[in-house]
Amino acid sequence: MGQKVALMVGTKKGAFVFTSEGRRGWKPSGPYFKGDEVYHVAYDPRSGNFLAAVLSGHWGPTIASRRGLEGEWKVTKTPPKFPKASGLTVAKAWQIAPGTPDQPGVVYAGVEPACLFRSDDGGVSWKANEPMLNHKTRKKWTPGGGGLCLHTILVNEKRPKRVVVAISAVGTMVSEDGGETWGFKNRGVLADFRPDKYPEYGQCVHKLAINQSRPDVIFQQNHCGVYRSDDAGESWKDIRNNLPSRFGFPAAVDANDPRRFYAAPLEGDFARVAPGGHFAVWGTDNEGKEWAPLDAGLPKASYYDVLRDAMVTDQEDPCGVYFGTTTGQLYASRDQGKHWSAVADWLPPIHSVSVSAV
Amino acid sequence: MIRVQLSGQLKEWSSGMSRVDVESGPDVISVVRALDARYPGLGGRIVDDQERIRPHVNVFVNSENSKELGRERAQVRDGDTVHILPAVSGG
Repeated sequence: MGQKVALMVGTKKGAFVFTSEGRRGWKPSGPYFKGDEVYHVAYDPRSGNFLAAVLSGHWGPTIASRRGLEGEWKVTKTPPKFPKASGLTVAKAWQIAPGTPDQPGVVYAGVEPACLFRSDDGGVSWKANEPMLNHKTRKKWTPGGGGLCLHTILVNEKRPKRVVVAISAVGTMVSEDGGETWGFKNRGVLADFRPDKYPEYGQCVHKLAINQSRPDVIFQQNHCGVYRSDDAGESWKDIRNNLPSRFGFPAAVDANDPRRFYAAPLEGDFARVAPGGHFAVWGTDNEGKEWAPLDAGLPKASYYDVLRDAMVTDQEDPCGVYFGTTTGQLYASRDQGKHWSAVADWLPPIHSVSVSAV
Repeated sequence: MIRVQLSGQLKEWSSGMSRVDVESGPDVISVVRALDARYPGLGGRIVDDQERIRPHVNVFVNSENSKELGRERAQVRDGDTVHILPAVSGG
């Protein structure tokens, strides 16, 4: 028997949780919130709670939590809500991120229209980050294809006051003071859908990922390239190199080898399909100098599409990699993507995949 | 007294009650606020952050859709019945 691992899947029709001992064989449960869209499910190891970002087509967005694998899901009565003076309404929550171990009770949520919310009571009540809500550039922010969404939140265990977020299509923003001020970190990131190709902000960042052992190194999948920052976002270097495309959505970093990144390229902006009709996760062992396809166990013909939150790595050794598709396939690899096996081929369209030891 | 008839889907927010009487008027949004005061969280399922009726929710005052009566500001008088229902969405 190995470590018990939970694989959390947010779909267009509810949430599912798969559990495994030692990552051999997965036991499904759910759907939870049947019929509602679930954009993200997170596990908070500090409290043992699961949190879910749920969107009802009729009754709007909310956050729900559940104690452990057996608890009952409880929907908060005080979900993220913009102050009336803002004129804004939360359309949906895209991402939930527990705070650092020294901040018990702190949970962040990224919402659309783009803003960071913070809870200090484990996800029961929420408050919009006012400096971001009132950012002087906000009126010039423009949405990407998925909406003006704050979709990535990276906390930093070594520097708890640093919070990195990604907004489509605004770019990367970093706070070094716990959210009191925010700065753009997009230098060197192309935005060739604009007349000014390297603006201060306006980049279409699709996903950011880090390894907590080396959090200054950030891996970015962007609309216009694949990037690495070695200085916490101060500058970015294009590391597409031999990838089949610069375009894709998710990004992941190996738990044990911070030089190992995973991408899921698509042909491009106007052909969002697997290159050549064959989906592969691509991995690099050297921070993007060279990439190799990781497709053992994946179908040869596979027009899979993987959304920005639908590929993750676990914390086991060797690192596991997981992805879910918009056509309902869920795959797992327990050896750094070298071999894949199908966990499920029967899910609704998958919005997100998360994983944690439980 | 204003009688509020809630969709079955909202009962999880109203302690299982599908019929609730409130005293407040004079309009739909006042009724929603009164509901939320009694059952915290219920109001946010009916109206958004700006207190606009959610796009796929219908609020009827007696048999008239509030969209025809001023939406959130539709008048509600003593003895009226307010129905809160999911809108028909899709085909």
